[in-house]
Amino acid sequence: MATKPFSGPVEDSVAKVNDEVAVGEDLDFQRKWWRFENAAWIIFTLIIVLDLAGLFGRGPIAKAERHSADGAFDVKYERIERTDSPSILTVQFAQAAIQNGKIHLYVSNSLVKQLGTQRVIPAPQDTVVGEGGLTYTFLASRPPASVDLALQPSGPGIYDFTIGVVGSQPVEARVVVVP
Amino acid sequence: MAAVLRAFFGYFFLVMIVRIVGRRPGKQMTPFEFVLIFFIGGLALTAIVGDEVSFTNGICQIITMGLAHYSLAWARTKSRRFARLVDGTPLILLENQSWRADTLRHMRIFDDDVIASARDSGIKNLQEIDRAVLERNGEISVSRSQQNA
Repeated sequence: MATKPFSGPVEDSVAKVNDEVAVGEDLDFQRKWWRFENAAWIIFTLIIVLDLAGLFGRGPIAKAERHSADGAFDVKYERIERTDSPSILTVQFAQAAIQNGKIHLYVSNSLVKQLGTQRVIPAPQDTVVGEGGLTYTFLASRPPASVDLALQPSGPGIYDFTIGVVGSQPVEARVVVVP
Repeated sequence: MAAVLRAFFGYFFLVMIVRIVGRRPGKQMTPFEFVLIFFIGGLALTAIVGDEVSFTNGICQIITMGLAHYSLAWARTKSRRFARLVDGTPLILLENQSWRADTLRHMRIFDDDVIASARDSGIKNLQEIDRAVLERNGEISVSRSQQNA
């Protein structure tokens, strides 16, 4: 014989009032929840303000600039990047960076791999692999001259990179990639 | 693995956001709440799926969502406190011919919403209402007073 499908009495866990089905309202809990909600809205607002400021990338706080010690070049980049989001790293060259009508720009492997260099604009005349990175060669006349590296990091993390011009002091910088 | 984690985190994050946003989207859905639901859904989809549009990823993320939902539902049955945290409790909006103004304000519900629900239940004036309760699913249930039954 099959077991009885229903075995528990029909009852309400909340005390009944006047023999009616209890509402089950818990105002004490609800007041605590409203306080929590208010705190959550403040935190949400703070997150959005910080985001607009660029703490999570794409804002004034995220933008950074480094100069080489001898003034041969400047690097403009975003110190806070977002995973899978494109950004531009710009290298601006001074006269000291141009030798015999050419610029030899060294970038470390972390800039190519972890920070995901997608394109180099303009395309280099030549690329040499070695010394833990790539050395691009560009034809150059007189300043102002600049090269853009289109970046698109593939994963979150903290990455250090080195960038330099041959014959000049390299610049080291750190980029935080948020998820 | 990252896609599965994104789906898992995304599910619980959406549960939290929807819980904090309030119960109005549950049943008292007006056009601007439609916008909220579709917009949140679309944005969540973009962030959770990302550029992994393979069939395998779709299946794995759907299963992850199913598992996340199952574990949440299971935890609700095991702990009354957890259930209260996830669902909230019913809230009285009107009782003994008095509005619970504090509750209405905190839940961002107008008296018009209660009156609309009353009309829906065939009640024609406020004196006929015994009690109006905002249920956990966002519905406003209105009971008729005994004298007018």
